[in-house]
Amino acid sequence: MIRIAAAGDVHLGRETAGTYRPRLEGLPDRADVFLVAGDLTRHGTPEEGRIVAAELRDLGLPVIAVLGNHDHQSGAQDEVAAILADAGIMVLEGTGTVLDVAGTRLGVAGGKGFGGGFAGRCASDFGEREMKDFVGVTKRFAARFGAALDALDCDVKVALTHYSPSADTLEGEPLEIYPFLGSYLIAEPVDAAGAALAVHGHAHAGTEKGATPGGVRVRNVALPVIKQAYAVYELAAV
Amino acid sequence: MTDEYVAAHVQEAIAAGTHELGVRVDVRGGVVVLRGQVAAAGRCAEIEAAARAAAEGFQVRNEVSVVPLEEPAGGETLR
Ligand SMILES: [Fe+2]
Ligand SMILES: [Fe+2]
Repeated sequence: MIRIAAAGDVHLGRETAGTYRPRLEGLPDRADVFLVAGDLTRHGTPEEGRIVAAELRDLGLPVIAVLGNHDHQSGAQDEVAAILADAGIMVLEGTGTVLDVAGTRLGVAGGKGFGGGFAGRCASDFGEREMKDFVGVTKRFAARFGAALDALDCDVKVALTHYSPSADTLEGEPLEIYPFLGSYLIAEPVDAAGAALAVHGHAHAGTEKGATPGGVRVRNVALPVIKQAYAVYELAAV
Repeated sequence: MTDEYVAAHVQEAIAAGTHELGVRVDVRGGVVVLRGQVAAAGRCAEIEAAARAAAEGFQVRNEVSVVPLEEPAGGETLR
């Protein structure tokens, strides 16, 4: 059994420093790895990055994170990622990593992702430069993310993004903003890689459970959705 | 001002002033209603202040609450 703890949209800042860590004390007993699905901070400042690092460092299990849109707000995303990496937190951005969990190789690939919407109701790579730029960001992410998933030499694959690969887990959000919450382009590589699970955040008003078009389980772990410090998903070991 | 524009301006003011994007803003019966969940009580107050400043002349009903953060009782087994 591989036990995956996951949470997203922690949105830590000066006024919440020190409040999350006490809720994570039971993590090493309950899970083998902790996935953090972006929006770690409120404004994406290095100061907030240090607050996040203090909350998530040395928790007694591997911590793998991706950044979210809030972590990009101050243009300091690279510095925030470096601060987290210095604290021993693995930060994925179109990259992957493999961990040994009691003899099973667990591969996690991920990154922030971006929007665009879902098949049949999405933005297209057409027209103005700005529209092509928007769709292009997601397309380029999907290509790197797909390559990272493919490259994982492991028994079980898990995808970790901030933006959603599924419209299912957006249920509860206004339909009008779906294109800003995720993209089917993120789901395609997840399906192609035969992942066992895809974890995301970002949609605070969404729903926890859904699936990709190919049937891979999707879980929205934004804290306002799971309404607890983290969720735990147990996958069969191979 | 038309209700819909008020809702849009309030939403913009909340995003710009507090960086909270997960707040649902609706104008119902002439009252600006704020819904959503945030990480700390102080943020509810900040959101309300930003909304009041942007919705002058409107009543504001703040239903934004703080996310509960207990450790989970159990996990979900995926088969
Ligand atoms: Fe968020
Ligand atoms: Fe987000």
